[in-house]
Amino acid sequence: MDVTLGLLDHIPAGGDGGGGVESGGSTTARSILTGSKEDNKNSMVMSSEVTSSYPVVGENLDDLELGLGLSIGGGGGGLRSKVVAGGGWSQYARILTAKDFPTSLVSKPNSCSSSSSVNIPNSSTSGTKRAATDSVSPPNGTSVVGWPPVSKAHRMPSLANQIKSPTENFISKPEQNKSKNRTVGIKDYSDERNGISNKKYRSVKVNMDGTLIGRKVDLNAHTSYEMLAQTLQEMFFSRWSSTEAIKPSRLLDETSEFVLTYEDKDGDCMLVGDVPWQMFLSSSVKRLRIMKNSDCTELGPRFQENNERHRTDSV
Amino acid sequence: MACSFPEEVLEHVFSFLTSQKDRNAVSVVCKSWYEMERWCRKRIFVGNCYSVNPRIMIRRFPEVKSVELKGKPHFADFNLVPEGWGGFVYPWIVEIARGYPWLEEIRLKRMVVTDECLEMISKSFKNFKVLVLSSCEGFSTDGLAAIVANCRNLRVLDLRECEVEELSGHWLSHFPDSFTSLESLNMACLLSEVSFSALERLVARSPNLKTLRLNRTVPLEKLSTLLQRAPQLVDFGTGAYSAEIRPDVYSSLADAFSGCKNLKSLSGFWDVTPAYLPAICSVCSLLTSLNLSYATTQSPDLTKIVGQCYNLQRLVVLDYIEDTGLNTISISCKDLRELVVFPSDPFVADADVLLTEQGLVSVSQGCPKLQSVLYFCRQMSNSALISISKNRPNLTCFRLCIIEPRAPDYVTLEPLDVGFGSVVENCKQLTRLSMSGLLTDRVFEYIGTHAKNLDMLSIAFAGDSDLGLHHVLSGCDSLRKLEIRDCPFGDKALLANASKLERMRSLWMSSCFVSFGACKLLGQKMPGLNVEVIDERENISSIPECTPVEKVYIYRTVSGQRFDIPDYVRIMGKDKDGVYDLS
Repeated sequence: MDVTLGLLDHIPAGGDGGGGVESGGSTTARSILTGSKEDNKNSMVMSSEVTSSYPVVGENLDDLELGLGLSIGGGGGGLRSKVVAGGGWSQYARILTAKDFPTSLVSKPNSCSSSSSVNIPNSSTSGTKRAATDSVSPPNGTSVVGWPPVSKAHRMPSLANQIKSPTENFISKPEQNKSKNRTVGIKDYSDERNGISNKKYRSVKVNMDGTLIGRKVDLNAHTSYEMLAQTLQEMFFSRWSSTEAIKPSRLLDETSEFVLTYEDKDGDCMLVGDVPWQMFLSSSVKRLRIMKNSDCTELGPRFQENNERHRTDSV
Repeated sequence: MACSFPEEVLEHVFSFLTSQKDRNAVSVVCKSWYEMERWCRKRIFVGNCYSVNPRIMIRRFPEVKSVELKGKPHFADFNLVPEGWGGFVYPWIVEIARGYPWLEEIRLKRMVVTDECLEMISKSFKNFKVLVLSSCEGFSTDGLAAIVANCRNLRVLDLRECEVEELSGHWLSHFPDSFTSLESLNMACLLSEVSFSALERLVARSPNLKTLRLNRTVPLEKLSTLLQRAPQLVDFGTGAYSAEIRPDVYSSLADAFSGCKNLKSLSGFWDVTPAYLPAICSVCSLLTSLNLSYATTQSPDLTKIVGQCYNLQRLVVLDYIEDTGLNTISISCKDLRELVVFPSDPFVADADVLLTEQGLVSVSQGCPKLQSVLYFCRQMSNSALISISKNRPNLTCFRLCIIEPRAPDYVTLEPLDVGFGSVVENCKQLTRLSMSGLLTDRVFEYIGTHAKNLDMLSIAFAGDSDLGLHHVLSGCDSLRKLEIRDCPFGDKALLANASKLERMRSLWMSSCFVSFGACKLLGQKMPGLNVEVIDERENISSIPECTPVEKVYIYRTVSGQRFDIPDYVRIMGKDKDGVYDLS
C-alpha cells in the first residue's frame, strides 16, 4: 500500500501533469507482470474468447506492460496513454489459468462479432477498448443496463413495432378507452399496487451452482430473454467469476452445459424461457438459478414433468 | 474597517442578489455581512441532500421561504441506482416543519417522498404555495389528495416524471370549492383518469391559471372545453392527442387554440393523430417551447408544424423529425436556443429513421442562438463535431448519445477524440458535456486542457487508462459533477486527485476499476467525503481488497455519514459502528 499512500501525498497542487502518477515505477509491479508473461498471454488469449467484451488482443505483449497493476499493492509502472487498458485484466485473468480453458474454443457468438462496431483490424492501437462490462450489442438490441441513457418517461413505443417496455403495459390506449365506459374513474391498478412492473426496479437474486457469490439482476431493465441471458452471461461467465470451466454458454440453449431456471411463487423450479417475456415479467419470479444441466436431470419427477410440459407448450 | 452601511441598506442591497452563488460569496466577506446575509436569505438550494444536515441549514438560515433539494445521483434515471439506496425526504420534512412554519415552496428532485411526507407538508405550512416534485417516487394519489385538500393557498402543483402509486383519480376532486388560487398544475405523469367535471370546475374557478399539463387520459374531444375556460393559459399540455377524424371536433379545437393569445408552450401529444396537429397552427407563431417527444408520427407531419414556429426557443422531439425536418427547423426557427432529440427506438441497433449527424450540423449552422443540445443518433463523425463546434462556439450544454457504445467515426473509423476535443476547445462557455462513441485518453487530455468552465461531465465506455480520469480531475477547474460508467479508470487517478473531490459535489463511477481497498483508503483519508460503495453481490467480505467495486458514489459532506443505507451500500473507511471495514 506504500505506493498508493504516496500518491495521496503527492496530490498535485494544480494540474502539474500528475507527476506522482507517471513516475514512481514500481519495479515490483512491473516484474510481476513481466515475470508472468506466459501466463498472462495464455490467459489473455483464452479470456479474449470467453466473452464478447474481450477484443482480440493478439500477441502484442507490450499491451500488457501497462503498469495498471492496481491489484498488486498499489500503482507503479508508467502509464502510457497508448496502451490498451488490459493490464488490469491480467490480474483477474490469472485466476483462470490456462488449464481451465479447453483448447478448442467455441467461436464467439454471432451476435458479438456482427454488431460490434469496434471492428478495427489493428487491435494493438487505441482502437480496441475494453470495458468493465460487456457492451457489445446483439443485433436485436443492446444488452447493457441503463444504455442508451433514456429516462423511463422517454422509453416509448415506436411507430414500427408497438412493443412496449414492461412499465408501459398498464397505460390504456385511447382506442381502448373508447369502447369502455368513460365515466369509470378508478382503473384497476392492482398489479401496480403489488409492485409489479410499475416499480422502477425488480431485482431478483441469481445464484449459480458452484459459485459462492450470488448476484442480483433487475428484471425490469431487460426487454427480452436474450437480454437477460446476456446480462447473466456477463455476470457469471466473465472476469469476476472464479468458476472454472468457463464456456460462452448460451443460457437459453438447451444443449449448453448450464440451464437457467427460476423459482416461482409456489416454490417450483421452472425453466426460463417457456412463456412470452411479458408474461414472465408479470409472473411471480422469486429468484433465478443457473444450474448445471446434469443436475437438472437428477431432479425430482416434478421438475421433469414441468420440463416436459413446458417443452411442449408453444412459446 | 467597520461596516459603514446601516443594516437596512445592506439588506436592501442583498435583496437584489438572487443567485445562491452570489449570496454564498457575499456571506464570506466579513462577519457582519455573514450575519446580515443569513438573516435575509429566502431561498436555499441543496444539490445533494446528504451533503448537509437540515438542522445545520435551519440554524444558519432562519427565514427561509423556499427549499430545493436533490437526492439520488443522476444515473438513477437510467436504473443504475438500486432501489432503496436513499434520498428519503422525510427527515428533512420533519425538521423543516419545525424550523420553517412559514415555508412557502418545496422543490424536490430524485427523492423518495411518502404519503406521510405529503400529509405533513400539507398540515405544517400555513402559507404553503409551491410543490414541485421531479423524478420522485414513493407516494400515492392519497398523498396528492392531502396536499390538494389542505393547502389553502396552493399555487403550484407540478409533478414531473414521478412514479406515483395510483389508487384513484379522485384526488383532484379534493380541491375545495373555495379554492381559487391555482396558477400551475402539471399532472402529465399520472396514469389514472380524473373526473373531468371536477377538472373543468377547477379550471373555471382559477383565474390565475397559467400552466395546465393534462395527463394522457384526458381525451382530445374535451380539450376545447378546457381551453375555452382558460384562454389565459401560457403553458398547456394536451392529453392523448388522438380521436376519430371529425370536422366539428377539429374546428372547435382549432377555435379554442386560437382563443389562447398568451400561449407560449405546448406539450403532451401522446398517440398523435396527424390530422389533428394543424389545429394548433394558429398559436405556432406564439410558441417559444414545444415538446413533441411523445408524438409518434412521421417527419412531414412534425415538420409542417414546427416549421411554423418562428419564435421557437426550445424544441423537444423524437428522431422521427429526421434530418429533413431539422433542416427545415434550421431555416425557420432562428431563435432556437435548445434542441432535444430523443430516440424512438433506443434498444435496436439499426433504426428506420433517417436521422444522422447531418441534422444536428444543419441546426448548428442555421440557428445562431443554439446553446443547449441533447441529441441521440446512430452515427457521428469528427468532421461533423468540428463543424458543429465552429458553427456554435456559444454552446453551453452539449450532450451527444451515439446509441452504439464505442462507435467510432463512421467515415474514418477513428475515435471521436478530435471531434469532442474541438467542441471543448471552441465552445469556451461549455458547462455541461456528455460524450459517447469511441474515445481514448486523448479526448480527456483535450478536456482537461480546454474545458475550464465545465461544471458537469458524463462519460461512458470511454478511455484507455487512469490517465484519462487524471486529466479530467486535474484539469477541469470548475468541475463539480462527474459521472462515469464502464470506463477503465481505477485507483491511481482517483487517489492522486483526492483533494479535488472535496471541491466537487459528487463523483459516480460504476463498472470501472476502482477497488474496495482504494475506496476504503479514500474514506479514511478524507473525512470530508462520503465514499459509498454500492455493491449487490453477496459474501462481499470474502472478496479480496483489490477487486473492483460495482459502483462507487463519492460526495462531499459536512453532515458526516448517513444512517439510512440499505445493506448493499457501505460507507467506506469511517470509524463508526456498523461501518464496513475491509481490514
